[in-house]
Amino acid sequence: MREVAIIGCGMTKFGRRGDRSLIDLMVEASVKAIEHAGIDKKRIDALYAASMLCGELTHQTAIASALADELGILPAAAERLENGPASGGSAVKNAFLAVASGLYDFVLVTGGEKMRHVAGDVITDLLATMSHPTAEYIHGVTLPSLAAMFARLYMKKYGVTRKHLALVAVKNHANALKNPYAHIHRPLTIEGIYSAPEAEVNNPVVADPLRLFDFCPVTDGAASVLLCPAEKAREFCDTIVVISGIGHATDTLAVHEREDPTILKAVRLSAEMAFKMAKTSPKDIDVVELHDAFTILEIAESEDAGFFEKGTGHKALEEGVTALDGDLPINPSGGLKARGHPVGATGVAQLVELTWQLRGEAGKRQVEGAEQAFSCNLGGFGNNVVSFVLKRVR
Amino acid sequence: MKKMVGVKCEECGRISYPERTFCISCGSNRLKRVELGDECELVTYTELYAIPVGIDQLPLVLGIVRFKNGARATGQITTREVKVGMKLRPVWGALRTIRGEKVYGFKFEPIK
Repeated sequence: MREVAIIGCGMTKFGRRGDRSLIDLMVEASVKAIEHAGIDKKRIDALYAASMLCGELTHQTAIASALADELGILPAAAERLENGPASGGSAVKNAFLAVASGLYDFVLVTGGEKMRHVAGDVITDLLATMSHPTAEYIHGVTLPSLAAMFARLYMKKYGVTRKHLALVAVKNHANALKNPYAHIHRPLTIEGIYSAPEAEVNNPVVADPLRLFDFCPVTDGAASVLLCPAEKAREFCDTIVVISGIGHATDTLAVHEREDPTILKAVRLSAEMAFKMAKTSPKDIDVVELHDAFTILEIAESEDAGFFEKGTGHKALEEGVTALDGDLPINPSGGLKARGHPVGATGVAQLVELTWQLRGEAGKRQVEGAEQAFSCNLGGFGNNVVSFVLKRVR
Repeated sequence: MKKMVGVKCEECGRISYPERTFCISCGSNRLKRVELGDECELVTYTELYAIPVGIDQLPLVLGIVRFKNGARATGQITTREVKVGMKLRPVWGALRTIRGEKVYGFKFEPIK
């Protein structure tokens, strides 16, 4: 198996992008990745396009064909990859396999979603179709409702409080202020969303015990990475970032089937696989992007991925360990919580952020000297998880 | 009266709901249909205010319940007077509308 490098990355501004179609956004991110690598786009052998809901939300299917055509990279191989909210991570994984195997040399992966033009209750319903059709969906289960039922168990079992959840939001909003690509550029305070009398109004209950600021926004945007064999990467960059580990695992579709629903087993397994493949361990990771679609998930994933003992993630958060200037910065980009969550783009956007971090190109949110990074892209409510370890090679 | 039916694995003993072809724990196809029973206990719940299209109750109360035989299920709770550990029983009724069609299933009501 050949070693695989990320030689270019790019993303659009995340947010409400009524000015652009989904394909426009994906083209923009792709072109930025191509320009970042400084490659002649005619050398691209294949394109993986990740989107969960392009057909349902933008009435366009087979978007990989459209994107290859629009980018002017024909006759490159092109396919769309849909794997729920883990579509982006899955697409990068498959692109990695294509390069590692020797089938292709230069592979572009672009994830994108355009969602904001659709009414909230329709989006919520479409996203809920990823849940178990008869055990969950028909009952009105939505992803936020699963997060809320998970949070209630978690809070009771481990002593996590509403304040801890609010701290995740405050931290990630603060990080996003330093990320020009982030959807939300709005500072939060613990008083404003938790302790002050007006917090009840500012931060209303959405799915008890979770409140408005426990949820990621609905976001338009696209992100792109360009992969090639590490042995060819020197032509394009001085600092080479390689994908040193990948893990991918599934868990029960219905959350109620989990023996202990507070354990995200697929996060555990995928992280273990990624660390094993990268021949490293959580303690040697310098910067992390987790799938914080809900604040509680950042805490849970930080434990199940192996960074903290189960039940202690909220303490590390409280002590500032996961802050941008802490020992283990989590979600320097702002995470899904504040960078935003264009579903198909997210897994790719996490790797864009980490590649920038490892190359020293992350601007005001740069984690100094970062050499190894970890990402976790979570599909369903933890039923399909792709984890990555990235490493800077001098 | 309709009964909630799950499956019990004859290899590993795992009970799961709803019915399925292969055991969720060990993958065996030696599954036997079993009734879940008339009484269950609330494990966790939420009052959902961001309801999806097709639901007309606000808030929608959803919960995960556990039956005496260990089976678990997810569904609507018919009251807002909810407490973890409360005793519930399955009742058949209309759940929601999906693409204009009414969908029926089991929800859970308190045992007084």
